[in-house]
Formats: sequence, C-alpha cells, structure tokens
Amino acid sequence: MQLHTRHVLNRAFTGLGYVATGVMAAALLVLLLPIFIKGAGAFVFRGTVEFRRFEFEQNGRGNRDALQRELALVSTARAPVYAMLDAAEQEIAAAPPARQRELKSALAGLREDIRVLLGPAPGQPVPVLLRGQYGQTRWDRARVKLHDVLFSETWDYSDPSGMGRKVYVPRSEEFEGLSITSLFPYLEAHVADMLRPRVTVYWRFLTDDSRDAHIFGGIMPELLGTFYLTLGAILIAVPLGVLTAVYLTEYAREGMAVRFLRSCMSTLAGVPSIVFGLFGLAFFINTLQVSRSKSVLAGSLTLALLILPTVIRAAEEAIRAVPQAYREAALALGAGTWRTVYSVVLPAALPGILTGIVISMGRAAGETAPIIFTAAVSVGVPLKLWEVFSHPTPALSWNIYNLCTEHEAVDEIRHVQYGMVFVLVGLVLLLNLSAILLRARIAKKLKA
Amino acid sequence: MNDVSHQPLTPHVRAQAFSVFYGAHEAVRKVTFDISRGNVTAIIGPSGCGKSTFLRAINRMNDLIPGCRAGGELVFDDCNIYDPQIDVVSLRQRIGMVFQKPNPFPKSIFDNVAYGPRLRGVSRRGELAEIVERSLVRAALWDEVKDRLHENALRLSGGQQQRLCIARALAVDPEILLMDEPTSALDPRATTRIEDLIGELRGSYTIIIVTHNMQQAARVSDFTAFFYEGDLIEYGGTTEMFSRPQCKQTEDYITGRFG
Amino acid sequence: MSPPQANRSGLLLSAGAQRRQRVARMLGQSFLFAVASVSAVAVLFIFVFIVRDAVPFFSWERLRGFFTSTRWYPSGSPPEFGALAIIYGSAMVTVGAVVVAVPLGIAAAVCLSDVLPFGARQIIKPVIEILAAIPSVAYGFFALVVFAPLLQEHGGRVLAVMVWLLGLPLCALAVLVLSDMLSRLAGHHGRKGPQGVIAAILGCLFAGLLIWLSRMAAAVQIDSGTNALNVALILGIMALPTVVSVSEDALQAAGRELREGSYALGATRAETLLNVVVPAASGGISAAVILGFMRAIGETMVVWMASGNAAQLPQPFYNFLMPVRTLTATIAGDMGEADHVTGSERYHVLFVMALVLLLISFGCNSVSEWIIWRRRKRLGV
Repeated sequence: MQLHTRHVLNRAFTGLGYVATGVMAAALLVLLLPIFIKGAGAFVFRGTVEFRRFEFEQNGRGNRDALQRELALVSTARAPVYAMLDAAEQEIAAAPPARQRELKSALAGLREDIRVLLGPAPGQPVPVLLRGQYGQTRWDRARVKLHDVLFSETWDYSDPSGMGRKVYVPRSEEFEGLSITSLFPYLEAHVADMLRPRVTVYWRFLTDDSRDAHIFGGIMPELLGTFYLTLGAILIAVPLGVLTAVYLTEYAREGMAVRFLRSCMSTLAGVPSIVFGLFGLAFFINTLQVSRSKSVLAGSLTLALLILPTVIRAAEEAIRAVPQAYREAALALGAGTWRTVYSVVLPAALPGILTGIVISMGRAAGETAPIIFTAAVSVGVPLKLWEVFSHPTPALSWNIYNLCTEHEAVDEIRHVQYGMVFVLVGLVLLLNLSAILLRARIAKKLKA
Repeated sequence: MNDVSHQPLTPHVRAQAFSVFYGAHEAVRKVTFDISRGNVTAIIGPSGCGKSTFLRAINRMNDLIPGCRAGGELVFDDCNIYDPQIDVVSLRQRIGMVFQKPNPFPKSIFDNVAYGPRLRGVSRRGELAEIVERSLVRAALWDEVKDRLHENALRLSGGQQQRLCIARALAVDPEILLMDEPTSALDPRATTRIEDLIGELRGSYTIIIVTHNMQQAARVSDFTAFFYEGDLIEYGGTTEMFSRPQCKQTEDYITGRFG
Repeated sequence: MSPPQANRSGLLLSAGAQRRQRVARMLGQSFLFAVASVSAVAVLFIFVFIVRDAVPFFSWERLRGFFTSTRWYPSGSPPEFGALAIIYGSAMVTVGAVVVAVPLGIAAAVCLSDVLPFGARQIIKPVIEILAAIPSVAYGFFALVVFAPLLQEHGGRVLAVMVWLLGLPLCALAVLVLSDMLSRLAGHHGRKGPQGVIAAILGCLFAGLLIWLSRMAAAVQIDSGTNALNVALILGIMALPTVVSVSEDALQAAGRELREGSYALGATRAETLLNVVVPAASGGISAAVILGFMRAIGETMVVWMASGNAAQLPQPFYNFLMPVRTLTATIAGDMGEADHVTGSERYHVLFVMALVLLLISFGCNSVSEWIIWRRRKRLGV
C-alpha cells in the first residue's frame, strides 16, 4: 500500500472513531432532552383557573378572596357561551323535525366538549367522577380541547391508494343557519379570559397523592414506593455483600470452593431481570410466603438478589484497594484478622463501598421486571412504614409502564408520564453523579 | 574492536543544542555531538539523566508522550528530525528501535518479523519468507527457530524474544538501530549473545545503545557519550574515555563513586 | 521448656484459651463462608425453582410444539403454546441490537483508549456511565412515546438518514482503498494525481449509489412505529456502554510496550490498532460482545413496550419493520398481575420460557469465562 494512502486511511480511521463516539453522545442527548424538557412541564406549566379552583377546593391551598374574584371574572366571560347554548336549544325546538334529532345530538356533543374544556356549566348537577367536576387545569391541554370543540374529526377515504386520512371539519358547519355559529369565533377569541392561564410552579407534584387515576395530583405514592423498595433492597444486600467481599478478600484461600463461589456470583449477575421476578414470585411469595401476595418485602428481597453481585464487586474492589501497609501495621500491633478488618480495612474502604452502594441504589430504583410480580400495583395509596411487610405499592418504574400502556386516558396524562420518567431518570442520574464525585474525591485523596 | 582511530568518520546523526522538554522540565539540555556512521555509540549515565529520552527523540517515539517537545536541532540525513513536515512513519522505517523489555507481538515468529515488510507493501509469500530468513539469520536466531516459524512468539525465552525483536527491527532494513537497555531484562548468557550480535551488526548499521552497565559499554561500543542530569558531560572514543576521562564527573561515574 | 516456666513470660496460651480461640475463629469463618455462599445458594435456588415450575409442562408433544409451532394461543380452546415466533422475535431483536452495538462500541472503545486526548476522555467516560445507568423503563418510554410516533410519521426519512449515516463512512473507505488498488494496478505508483482522479470517479459512483438507496428508503411507509427495528436500535444503545467499557479495558490491558513496538517499526496508529492491539485484546473484546448479547436478550421493559407484541413470524423473515414478540415480554405480559391460576398450563409454559432464558444466559457466561481462561493459558500467565 502506498504511503500516502496509509496516511489517509489512518486519518479516516481516526474520523470513524470520532463518529462512533459522537453517535454515542448524540444518542444520549436525543434520549434525555425530550424527557427533561417535557418532564419539566409536569412541574412548570401554564395553569388555568380550574387548576387553582382544584387546589383550593380539594387541597385547601390558595387565597379564597383572590379565587372568588377570578371566578367572578371568568363567569362573566363564560356567560355568553352558555347563553348561546340555551338559545340554540330554543331554536332547535323550533326547527323542522327532520333536522331536530340531528341537531339535538350535535348540541349535546357540543355541550359535552365544552364541559370537558371549561368544567360543569353553572346550574348543572355536579358529576360524580372528579375529572368531570373540573375543566382543563393545564393551558396546553386546554388548547387541545379547544380544538376538539372548534373542529370535528372525520376520515377521508377518497384516496384509493392509501389508508384513510384524518380531516378536521369546522364544527360550525353542523349548525348551519343557527345563531350558535357565532359561538365558535367568540370561544376562540375569549378562551384565555375564560380560563385565565398563568405560569404555575407545581413542585408539589412530588408530594401530592394522585387523584382520579393520575388525571389530577402528583406522584407521591410512586415516589414513596420506589423509596421503600430501594431502601429495603439496600438494607438486605449491603450487609450480605460487604461480608461476602470481606470473606473473599481476607479469609478465603484460592481453591475449588472459592472459584465455584465466584462463578456462581458471575452467573447471578447474568440472570435476566424478569427471571428474578419469576423467582421472587415462585420462591418468596409462593413457597416461603413472606407475604400473602405481593408486598414491598418480597419486592425488596428480589431486588436485593439482583443488586447483590454489584455490591460484592464494588466492595471487593474497595477492600483490595486498601494498601497492604495498613493491614500489616494493625497486625503488627497485635490485632487479629477480624479486628483488623473492621477497625482498619473497612473504614479505609468505606468511600469505595459507598460508591458501590449508591450505584446499586440507582439500579434498584430503576428496575421494573423484578417487581412486576412481587411488589408492584398500579393504583394505591402511600404506604405507612409497617405496611411494607404485607402491602404492595405503586412504584415509579412500574407505573411509568402502566401509565403509558394500560391506562384508560393515555393521551390525557402525557405530562404525568413525562414527569414520572423525569423524576426517575433525575433520581438515578443524581445518585450516579454523587458516585462519580465520590470516586473523584477518593482518587484525589489517594494521589495526595 | 574499539580502536576507531584509523577509520574515516562521517556523522549519521548530529545533535546541535538539542533539548527535550516534558512540560516545563528540561530532561535533555542543549546537547551537541555527532553520532558517526557505521559505529556503535553507547550512551551511559545514572538513572534519570536523560539518556533514554535522548534516544527516543531520535525516532520520535517521544511524540507518544503528551506534553513532550523538543528544542534545538537533531539532524539526520540533512533533515531536522523535528521538522513538522517530516513523515514520522517513514522516519521510523529508517531508524529502528529495540526496547528494554522484549515486546514481541502475540503472533507467530514469522508474522512478527514480517510485520514491518508487510506494512511497506510486501505481500508475496516468497519475498516475505526470504526477508524473514535473512533477518533471523542476521539476528543469530535462525537456527533455533527455523523449524517453528509458525509458533507463537511468546513461547520463546527472554533472550530469544529479544533477538526476535532485533530481527523484527532489522527486517525493514533500517540505517540506524536504537537500543534502549536491550539486555537489562536478560540473564548473563543471553546478554553475551546480544553483545556478540551487536559486534556482528557493527559496520552494516549505525547502532546507538543506551546502557547503565559500564562494562557493557566498554565491551561493545566504539564511542561513548556520558550524560548526567540532562547534560552531555563528555563524548569520545570508548577506550580513551574509560582509560583517560577528561571530566571529573566522568571519572567519578566510571569508577563507581556515584550512579 | 516445661509449661509452667514458659507461661511465666505470658507468651504461651493455655490449652483452654487455645481451644477457645480456635473455636471462635472457626465459627467466625464459617459464618462468613455461609454469608458468602448466599449468592451461590441463590443461583442454585433460582435454577431449582424455575425448573420445578417448568417441568409440569414437559411432555414430548408439548415441547415439540413449543419449539416448532408458531401458533401461540394460550387462551384458546384447546390452548396452543407454539413459541417459535416468540423465540424468533427474541433472536431477531438481539441480533439487531448486536449489529448496532458491536461495531459502534468497538470503534468507540478504540477511540477512547488510543485516540481521544485526556480532556475529551474525561467527558466521554461519564457519558457512557450515564447511558448505562438510565433505567430500562425510561428507554422503553422513549421507544414508545418518542421514537415510535417518529417512525410511524416520518419512517421513510428516518430510514434515509440511517442509510446516509451508515453508507457515507463505508463508501468513503471503499473509495480510498479501491482508488489505491486501482492506481497501483495501473502502474501509477506513488503519484497522487492519477489516484485522485480515480478516487473522484469512484466517489461519484458511490454517491450515486447512496442517493438511490436513500430515495428507496425514503419511500418506505412504516405502518406501525412499534416494531423490531425500533426495539433493535434502542437495545443496541442499551448494550453499547457494556461493549465499550469492557472492550476499552481489554484494549488498555494490551499494554504500552506492544503499541510502542509497532510504532517503532513505522506503523501508523490505525495499522497499530488494527494489526496488533485489537488482535491482542480479542479475548476481552469477545467477552464484551457476549456481555452485550446477554444484555439485549434479557431485556424486558423496552421490548414489552415497543416491539408491537405480535406473536408472528415477520414476512419476509428479515423484515424488521414488522412487530414481533420476545420471550421476556411474553413472560411479563402473560403473567399479568399474577392473576392466573397457579398450576395451570399457562403458568408453567412461562416458566419454560424463563428456563430457556436462564440457560442462554448461563451458556453465554460460561463461554465468556472460557474465552478468558483460554487466553490466560495461551499467554502462559
């Protein structure tokens, strides 16, 4: 090969390497950006008067007088809408019978869509479901619902080659000839006055219970559940893992038994997470019966098994990194092996072990498959501490799946889904960041 | 063997106020001397005196160390080695290197020696086999390995591996052979064989050998340069320098008062 | 000499004290050994319990049906448990993930170990750690909520972008190599001019090829965004950090002396890496590939959320744009919220699937350990 080509190939090779690295970094960005941007939208958004009404009536938050003033302004803005709806009812009664049925159902549909947008009309009976008692609490959802009021959806099958296309037809066409056609431009122009959107910071998203299947409220039960599960897993796995690491580094002699132990550990590390979940169901719940059915206890036990290899590995590395000089000094002063370990080696290895623990916490908090059959439930209240031994719990990881797939109103609660993912990813990244910082501090201390 | 007084001397590499910096630290300080063609030049001195740094500067292996730069001139074949336009790849095919710890590739003996020629584009089996045999003969290893050319090179003993590395370096037909303490990791018998080999290669190649073993320098080299803390203290014919050193420092080092 | 005299200096222990010390030490060590064996016991128990609940499904016809039939109707009457389509789905997305993760991962690892300057390395290493730490349900969320609609609405464009992303580097490489070979054949050795002309001609040809391919890709309509392609790409990104970090460790372990030996012979960095370093690190890199494979095949949430969950063989067999179902998603989905009757056929077949997964992961683990053991033996370490 000619020298010139060799050099060009060398440069091309370097370029390929940079491209691969760049693709990796780009993938991370593409993954995290939507989650962070839209997830922040669960906390910071333009909330409407319905949101403030909800907060006051359901949670007792906010200023009564300010709210009353707002509601007065809002009802002034909305009054024409209801007046026009009532007027339309009269006009329909006077219409020819052929059109009457069509118009009546169209009007009913319109009233319903306006109720979804603005809340129950004054004077109407209050619906039973919480979601029916309030209009749209978020301005972005309100705009979507406004679109539903202004346009109706039909399918256009005129194109012979492909599938049918969705087209939007202005709603006013359904009410041709009636006075109510002026409702739509009025609504469009004044909807901001009817809902009064304002930038809201809803940090209580983290501490509020969820209301009516997550349509209102926050994610406290899930957050608490994740906390309980992670804490339980750590409480079980850390003592086991650290003692195992101590045995492997200080006491064990290389032989068949130790080699077998190590290969068992690496096998455990390779078991798929869903198999852990099945094992948890079959062993902890069905055989050992640690709880009658799903519970945080069973889930924590299963998660503990999952993170055990990681904890052992991290603890082993940390213990091995302790300089032999420390051990020799302690032994020379007459300390036995065990005393040396717990008074000198373990304290010196503590930062490294802590790093491993923090990383395992992140892993336990994010895992879903092990808790599907052992601990997770889609709807639930925040558990009290003593209930963890017998009750299942919602958890961030499981409920993200649940809200995205099995929920009845998947599109309505997108912001909650993003909020949950944001909180979970944020939590895990925070834990990992602290682990990285810890490790940097350790490295600096060792170098100095 | 070390009497060079009757041979015409042509410089092969010339150092003119040549320095090497690691960041702010000047590891080689403005050394000036010539390395003559076809002879064996030894560079001696205590640890940390800059002799390995100087050696590695000649084939620009120091480029691999971040923060390392050179000052002054180091001239080979009428070009400054540190000229930014120099093609390092071509340079290294004319100046070969043997390292302190033998570092054969985890490939067969044949593939180790054929590595350099293959890079240059020699691909025909017959041509490669010829080059491999020639290099192994020149490195005095052929008889021991000719029946097992396709065995893994890591199976050879330390001394054999080092001779393999020499054969590998010779396979690209360099003009200069740099040797960085080539026998310090070997036992006395292997050391002797390498020293004999250096004697055989003398004349066909210019050899520059860094060694901390003064007796070795005295045995194999025609010229010796004594480095101390980055400076070139003395340079001259080996027999002269060892019998009548001109500087006190040189004398102290040679007689073992330090280093 | 005689016990009483020696005891006066206090150095010797009495027989009782000696015995106590020995017992305490034995107890302590046994306790620690017992704790350490928890992980071994756990693995054993996992195998035992999975096998125990899988065995009731074992009968020749049922097993044969499981592995050869694609009719998966567990709630039919009679229920059919043909899992071939599901096994194929697992294999398909795993192969796709490996195809994405391995070249990208090894290239990135090589770049990380030998090309990037120290500062850039300190930025990229956390990127890899973060990618590894993101929970799988977050990847699944992204696949379902962000990527699937993108594929469904702009499928053609995404595919065209992928064609360019893959094709441009490959074609550039091909142009270089071919132009060198052709100019040498034509006898124009060492002259840049003729080689440049040949390169330009080849470049136009390849560019034309790429444009044609991307046009074809852009015309593709993706019916459903939740399909094997979606899952394979996301799984590939998930497996990437594993491949990169294990490969990078292996590349670093090859050592500085090896690289210096190659550089000193006048090799470029690319030649050193490709001819010497990567082959020397081949054991570790194979282990990295196997670990990436294990990560992909054992993943549950991403495939459950975004693979489409259709238990059918894609038509044709290489069509990644169709929905598939994997073993992991079937276990997770069919077990529901454990509302099945424990003891029914439906319950046991899921344990059979778990057993298959367990055996695959155990097999991969063993292979990777064997590779490492064999390399150590060959180098005589």
